[in-house]
Amino acid sequence: MESALNAIFEVLSFGAIIVLVVLGLGIIASMMGIFNFAHGEFVLLGAFTTYLVYKQGLPVWLGMLAAPIVLGAIGLVLERTVIRRFYAAPIVAMLGTYALGLVIRETVRGLIGGLYLSIPEPVVGSYVVGGVQLSKWRLIIIVITALVMTASYLLLTRTAFGLRVRASLENPALARASGISTDTIYAVTFAFGAALAGLAGALVVPIFSLFADLGIRFLIQGFLAVMLGGVGTFEGPVAGAGLIGTLSAALPWAVSPVLADVLVFVIAIVIVKLRPGGLINARRV
Amino acid sequence: MRQDNRQPLAVTRRKFLASAAWMSGAIATGVGSWVIPARWANAAEGPIKVGIATDLTGAIGYAGNANANIAKLVVKDINDAGGVLGRPLELHIEDTASNESVAVANVRKLIQRDKVDVVLGGITSSMRNAIKDVIVTRGKTLYIYPQLYEGKECTPYLFCTGPTPAQQCDEFIPWLIKNGGRRFALPSANYVWPHVLNAYARQVIEKNGGEVIFEEYYPLDQIEYSATVNKIMTNNVDVVFNTVIPPGVGPFFKQLYEAGFGKRGGRLSCVYYDENTLNINAPYEMEGLASCLDYFRAVDASEPFSAKLQAEYEKGFPGNILFCAGSAATGMYRGLKLWEAAVKEAGKLDRDSVAAALDHAKIAEGPGGPAEMVPGKRHCKMQMYTAVAKNGKYEIVARSNGLVDPKEC
Repeated sequence: MESALNAIFEVLSFGAIIVLVVLGLGIIASMMGIFNFAHGEFVLLGAFTTYLVYKQGLPVWLGMLAAPIVLGAIGLVLERTVIRRFYAAPIVAMLGTYALGLVIRETVRGLIGGLYLSIPEPVVGSYVVGGVQLSKWRLIIIVITALVMTASYLLLTRTAFGLRVRASLENPALARASGISTDTIYAVTFAFGAALAGLAGALVVPIFSLFADLGIRFLIQGFLAVMLGGVGTFEGPVAGAGLIGTLSAALPWAVSPVLADVLVFVIAIVIVKLRPGGLINARRV
Repeated sequence: MRQDNRQPLAVTRRKFLASAAWMSGAIATGVGSWVIPARWANAAEGPIKVGIATDLTGAIGYAGNANANIAKLVVKDINDAGGVLGRPLELHIEDTASNESVAVANVRKLIQRDKVDVVLGGITSSMRNAIKDVIVTRGKTLYIYPQLYEGKECTPYLFCTGPTPAQQCDEFIPWLIKNGGRRFALPSANYVWPHVLNAYARQVIEKNGGEVIFEEYYPLDQIEYSATVNKIMTNNVDVVFNTVIPPGVGPFFKQLYEAGFGKRGGRLSCVYYDENTLNINAPYEMEGLASCLDYFRAVDASEPFSAKLQAEYEKGFPGNILFCAGSAATGMYRGLKLWEAAVKEAGKLDRDSVAAALDHAKIAEGPGGPAEMVPGKRHCKMQMYTAVAKNGKYEIVARSNGLVDPKEC
């Protein structure tokens, strides 16, 4: 019983982490048709921003607040200078963003000397529920993920801004004809996706420590989640992320960990085979 | 921006192509090669060429740079003292880039272009296996491998100067049983070093009355260990003998701490943990972690030569590239000095003569103490230390009684 409760909590918290990481990736992929291979490095930059603030002697939570803002700004600049040139050519966009990611990753590696650095959680300790230790910080991540997910969903489906984003996605020419600046919408959407990545990086870095390959670890799971969930909707990638996160954390409880790693991919491929359009493939947000 | 306002482009297509060609030429032929010539020369015979092949860039760049730094320091000291056989040493450093296919090409340059007299380097076992053939078999050159490793490397002309499983387990595991308990868990990354080390560790554990509760292997990049931590907690494991590597080791230790492993008296241990890895976790998360290596900074207090060497290193290379045992830097020091002793004894540089002398070479001083090759075994006897992390620093809790035998080959 204790073990089951523990398992549920750990699986839930890892699922939340993957959802948090994939959210930005999914929004950019679904809303803009760009597969951002630098997303992992945006997560890394979020973590790095937190580290820089912490190193200045300021509280960690301040770094976590700063990370999405800094990343939003970086995202905006990159969209204006680099990403916008790729809209016409999605394949080139993959290569371009991959190159961008490589530059960011190796730069950060140089800056932190290739080491692994620990960053403390703003909230230390754990609750004991029924004899099981529930880490406070993991609990907070679950709550923040739920909040961010809900807020993003409401933003895209219930606000005028969301309507414009969806219009630009559905039919860019018509949107422009109706007076929507698709240029601005794309820039803001990309910046928003980058900000979410920054937030994810800032929140998970106390758990995984800061190292140059932090982002790349999540990138593969992230793309698997987007592929599984289906591009074009908000819910698709999120559902995919939930499933991938849950599977990756839950399978090692049941089978040997090396086998579990492979099984996650096998299950994902089988699902994609059965539902080629993804779990949720209606083109609607 | 309108077309007519545009400045004429500063870079023409021709200029761009020319510089691109130059750049790719430079990358293909030698960026990542450093030659450090001696400040004096022997006009008759020229310098002796020492090749260093190590991971200056990529995932384990922090370790490779420490190797290159200590090599520069040792070679400078040797040259300042008059060189070897009246000739200065010239250092040729190649980047193996934490990538075996890049490494093979770069090491070939050391052998074919620079015609070095000896190669030292390689950190991971996969790197050693990738480059040893280029150096030893096809290159007909002496190779010295400096890192702690799983043992069983018995190739002729390949000498190992890092600790082996016997050196890291024979005295350490009985200490763990005494200061931790009898029930061991062996969580491990799934590659050759943990597999072979665990096989040896298991024998030592069982011989000393301990018991292996589970031995489990994880993908190298796994960062979620809740299932493992649960197994450790529910099976009342006393000692975690860890061979999970970064990036997984940080989250693993954190989850163990959060589950209360340390609080209920569990002992964490990890034989590659040195000063570089102290930063991966917060000090309280790894309080009591025990490691066994050939050198720790804490040794400096009782070993004046180690303290002097460490001070000299820090003066020459300030910053975050540390001189530690886990990254092969101490093995690199020993390798260079043992080779120097061998060349001096042999009086010449041909491979067979140097190898014959290196077979029984000794140095009286080194990081952690003296060292000597075991004749016929191509492995190195050395002093071993057991250290425990307290408040983010190591304290020496045990030291070997004399030099420990590597028990290889």
